[in-house]
Amino acid sequence: MFYYAPERRRRSALAASSANEAMNTVYSREGKCRYLGSLYATGGEGAIYPLLERADLLVKIYHAQVLEKRGELLQDKVLMMCEQQHHRNNGRLAWPLIPVYDAYRRWIGYAMYRRQGVPMAKLAHAMLYERHFPGLDRRRVTGYLLNLLRTIRELHDGGVMLGDCNLRNILCDPSSEEISLIDCDSFQVELGEWVYTCPVGFPDMTPEEHHGQDFSLVVRTQESEAFSIAIVLFMALMLGRHPYDVQGGGERAENLRRASFPYGVGNSGIPAGRWYNIWSHMPYRLKALFIRTLVEGAHDPRKRATLAEWINAIEQYRKEIDKGYHEVAMEPTAPKSRTYRGSGRAQST
Amino acid sequence: MRRSVFPSPNRPSRESARNYLDLLSARVPAVSNLLGGAVSAQAEVVEPWDDGVDLPADDLINNPSPRCACMLVLDTSASMSGNWGEGRPPIHQLNEGLVAFVAALQSDEIASFSVELSIITVGGVVTEVLPFTTAAQVEECPRFPARGDTPLGGGIKLALQRLEERKAEYKRCGVPYYQPWLVVISDGAPTDGYQWTASAEAARTLSAERRLVSLMVGVEYANLSRLSAASTRPALKLKGLNFAAFFEWLSVSMSRVSASTSVCGQIHLPPVDSWATI
Repeated sequence: MFYYAPERRRRSALAASSANEAMNTVYSREGKCRYLGSLYATGGEGAIYPLLERADLLVKIYHAQVLEKRGELLQDKVLMMCEQQHHRNNGRLAWPLIPVYDAYRRWIGYAMYRRQGVPMAKLAHAMLYERHFPGLDRRRVTGYLLNLLRTIRELHDGGVMLGDCNLRNILCDPSSEEISLIDCDSFQVELGEWVYTCPVGFPDMTPEEHHGQDFSLVVRTQESEAFSIAIVLFMALMLGRHPYDVQGGGERAENLRRASFPYGVGNSGIPAGRWYNIWSHMPYRLKALFIRTLVEGAHDPRKRATLAEWINAIEQYRKEIDKGYHEVAMEPTAPKSRTYRGSGRAQST
Repeated sequence: MRRSVFPSPNRPSRESARNYLDLLSARVPAVSNLLGGAVSAQAEVVEPWDDGVDLPADDLINNPSPRCACMLVLDTSASMSGNWGEGRPPIHQLNEGLVAFVAALQSDEIASFSVELSIITVGGVVTEVLPFTTAAQVEECPRFPARGDTPLGGGIKLALQRLEERKAEYKRCGVPYYQPWLVVISDGAPTDGYQWTASAEAARTLSAERRLVSLMVGVEYANLSRLSAASTRPALKLKGLNFAAFFEWLSVSMSRVSASTSVCGQIHLPPVDSWATI
């Protein structure tokens, strides 16, 4: 299997064009002109605009310097992604649909379906979750997480890894338990003998075996993805607390490398405040998966919980919540006692 | 500058807080060694608990957001009241820029709970106007008068001490943090000779070790070469009195830092050409 090494092919540098910075038209492959609305969002890689004739579509235009640096690689990847029918039709993905070009017939980006929702970064935020998700309880969180896990499973089955598991790229619908994934062009995509890598990653969300490496050259595996997914699940269930935030400890990445998960056996270093209360109310099955993945699994990829294990555990948790076995409040006021036998409040489904 | 008071069942007593701070002072590594000697007798330090507000540790307990500490050291010396023929005096435009800066931070939800702002003024004496406070909790911005000379060395010394104390607090509470920022704005030259040399060297050392982002901003007649001594990057000169553009740039920079998924990530800051002459 080959992975796409960006150094192999270099594009002649595009003249830095300021036109990309204030786009109002793009062209399809056939040369049809399409008009863009006002800037919708901007990020490190590109800018997003709505398509005026189609309210359900957005267009991502890469910044000129990104195209200049790795435009050829990106173009290959995005064009391949546009042809993947299975993922194009997935209603939970903002998957590249069609390539778009500038007036000089140069490829500059792609169109995708607009996905709505609030970033999970605001659900997993101790100060913001109530504002954006009024009435949020643990049952709803399990709903979001199950939809997320099932979507990731579909992607894995289709040879795609998220790579950069980023809470900002997971959108949650506050009025349902639906989720969407955006920034899909950064995913790791396997096509035949080729792997288009995910060039983005951060040490505190990534397993130790990928630390210190150039992410554009890292081929993620299901085991490495499993580690990152565990961190996302933990943060969603723990109001944004990172699993490797340790009282009196070092930086997150450093704690990760030392497998200093404070909620493990002995419970040393749990930050002061509500965090122990929240953790104590998690069911044993979930706690065991977190401990196994984030302690033993920090160094041994084989110990990390699989997607199937997470789905089973969270489905079971949800059923038990419906039977009234667990506290549903996001912030229980006291730790779970040994005699605790549930909230007694069976949930309507 | 007042902060909102948050109810906290875990609020420690004032006595235990003072005992804690004594313990912390013993633990804080020798920033004083870098600075050479005790804090200037002229420094006035407003202790954050003297007005009855919650201690910073409560916010660190309840809000686990990664923090970006932004320390502003502002020259409020007499020269800042001078009219340079560009409309209102510099001190007025500095005050207004600061108000807009806080408002911009508060309008960004993520940044408002991530950026911690502290303000020290140097105008005759060194005054800690605002101890580290998340932007969301800053209630109102006072207006600074312009008076006195420019003990900038003493201001930076206190700033560095507070930054080290804050980082120690982050570690104690298990709260991650981005590289802290020290932003110094001055229209002249420091008037506390020896202290300035020591403080500038300390800031430069921390900057070189990538433990601090040290940004020196000179206004009109500022001695840029002297200011540059406090950073590994040259001091930048403000275009005219364009404090508004500078603080807008600073708020966007803070937002980008806060928006970073990870405290380990590299941040691409916006260009400075909107406010600096290079």
